[in-house]
Amino acid sequence: MSAKLVLYFTATEHALYRWAGGALELESKFGADDEGLQAFRAHLQGRQGALVYVLADLAGEDFHEDQIPYLRGSDRQAVVQRRLAQRYRDTRLTAALPLGYATGERRTERLLLASFTNTEQFTAWIDALVASGARLSGVYSVPLLAPALAARLGARSGRTIIVTANSTGLRQCFVENGRLRFARLERTSEVAPEALAVFVRAETLRLVQYLSTLRALPRDGPPIQVLVVAPAAQRAALEQVLVSDARLTFRTIAVAEAARKVGIKRPTADLAGEQLFLHLAVKSPPKDQFARIEDRRSFILWKLQRAIVATGAVGILACAMFAAVQWIDLFGLKDQVSVQQREAREATQQYQRITASFPVTQTTTDNLKATVVEFTKIATQSASPEPALVYLSQVVERFPQMDIEAVVWRVGKPGADAAAAKAATAPAAPAPAAAPAAEVLQVLEVSGRVNATRRSDYRAITGQVQRFAEALRTDPAWRILRTQLPFDVTSEGTLSGDIGAAEGTEAPRFSITVGRELK
Amino acid sequence: MSFTAQELKKLALPLLLLVALLGAGAGLILWTQSEQQATARQLAAARAERSQARERLTRIAEEEKEVNDKVAVYRRLKSLHILGEEQRLEWADAMTRIRTTRELLDLRYLVERQRLLSTFAGKPAGVDFFASTMKVDIALLHEGDLLGFLRELRESGNAYYSIKRCAISRTGTAPTGTSIVPRLRAECEIDLITIIDRAAKT
Repeated sequence: MSAKLVLYFTATEHALYRWAGGALELESKFGADDEGLQAFRAHLQGRQGALVYVLADLAGEDFHEDQIPYLRGSDRQAVVQRRLAQRYRDTRLTAALPLGYATGERRTERLLLASFTNTEQFTAWIDALVASGARLSGVYSVPLLAPALAARLGARSGRTIIVTANSTGLRQCFVENGRLRFARLERTSEVAPEALAVFVRAETLRLVQYLSTLRALPRDGPPIQVLVVAPAAQRAALEQVLVSDARLTFRTIAVAEAARKVGIKRPTADLAGEQLFLHLAVKSPPKDQFARIEDRRSFILWKLQRAIVATGAVGILACAMFAAVQWIDLFGLKDQVSVQQREAREATQQYQRITASFPVTQTTTDNLKATVVEFTKIATQSASPEPALVYLSQVVERFPQMDIEAVVWRVGKPGADAAAAKAATAPAAPAPAAAPAAEVLQVLEVSGRVNATRRSDYRAITGQVQRFAEALRTDPAWRILRTQLPFDVTSEGTLSGDIGAAEGTEAPRFSITVGRELK
Repeated sequence: MSFTAQELKKLALPLLLLVALLGAGAGLILWTQSEQQATARQLAAARAERSQARERLTRIAEEEKEVNDKVAVYRRLKSLHILGEEQRLEWADAMTRIRTTRELLDLRYLVERQRLLSTFAGKPAGVDFFASTMKVDIALLHEGDLLGFLRELRESGNAYYSIKRCAISRTGTAPTGTSIVPRLRAECEIDLITIIDRAAKT
């Protein structure tokens, strides 16, 4: 944490205060001459990085109201700088305080240009500050802090004159709607304490008259509030003398009460008026001040560093908050998981308790079911050839002229049979009933010869094979998948014969394939 | 206001800190989000598990009936040694015994290496079906020899015999009168199916 120093800059001497524990402590005093400056330089040694506020309380402070066209950004800055340069010879310590906007033919901005009549008295001191490595927060004047004091004392709007008895003299600041309009410092060193009340009244009337002359105050208007921060010793006298009238409404506030409102922790009864402003300079420094950017570079850099770190801190805080919200949601989800898992566990335990009373299976229930179901499936897709062969024997007995040469029994899909049919080059009749493609059948393929019939008697041979095939369909579960006749009698095939004297003796061959679904 | 190189250097550390803090914040959010996603997945799995367990519980009466129905088949499979490791020696003994008892003229067989039958959907991991294809070549006097062989083979147990194909053909050898000559020849392919249930108690 950087040390905070406040330099109270007056015409005769300068006091350096240190901010510690929420209060200002006088650290040192320096004369307003070269000797004081040397002492100040020596005092600043080893104070690099200290945050320094300069509060000027001088009589020679100029205020001038001006208007500029309504502008923004760098254009406005350029116009303001030009106006300041026109008004003041030395612009090192100048300020342009915004007073609001005036609407007429053109919209314009009202400014209060302010500076010191003698800025040279500051130059060496500010240079000493910058050279020491201290961070110059700003050069303020007591009037710049008057609006903040007025607000703390309850005068946030309207026209108010704040009167304080500073060690430099009687300070009068005119504040309108929270904005400084004018200020002056009148010496009180020659004024006897008992005459202070009369002096305050007289100076206030003079100020009002001056402001009226400048048209800063309307001729006829509501009474102006005058807040007099009174030293404890003079408060009674002030209240007696400062009688309100149609033009001015006086209100006297004890300096200790004002100090409390400003936030001074341990105010004393004889507190000087500038202490209020010194405290405000540290606690709530106004945006507007007199120093140039060049003199405040290290302070601006320091502010930027802090802003960057603060951004990071805010960022991680926001992320942490977001993450915390997500984490709360996560707890909700985890609770739900626990509930679901507990219910699943309970259901499983209940299931196990019930299944424990099942017959002894020598395996798990799932394995038992899987084994039996899958085995049953395999068994239903299996068959034995015995019934098919017995059935064939019964049919063959009725056809003694049929000489069976080979029988193939198999389990499979009829596709294999169809493929075999395509590959066959011998004449074949079309399949009378095609089985569905995915169906598993037991297939019986019978091949043999037709005996006891003349080879040239095509009709008789074909008729006998067809009758034999029909006989194989006696049981309707069997269906003919393919019939290969000795002669191709279809229009698609080639019919050939040998009816000469040398008729062949070999019996004509045939082949019949029948199939039935597996049960 | 523009900064000098030296001033910019002074901003480097705060900027690094900013990046680190924001990075840490982003990391924190990403971590909580990943935790949330993982927990959401856990929740989905727990819901599915609960739903499955509840559903199984509601079907328990049905399941009891199913178990009662199936346990007899299971025990039968076990008693026939269809459930369990292959009994190749028993198979060989059975073939020898059948040839002798049925007085078969010639019996040749070849059992191929065991293969895993394709699994079905929803099958428990502990149950596997295996098949070993046996090719049998038998010389027959008549068809009855084949039918008898197949019947006795089935009765011998030690596997489930799923007959895939049997081809019977004439040998074409004429009887000599001095010796018994086979008139037929049968070639069969039979799958010898066994089941391994790893949860089964011996």
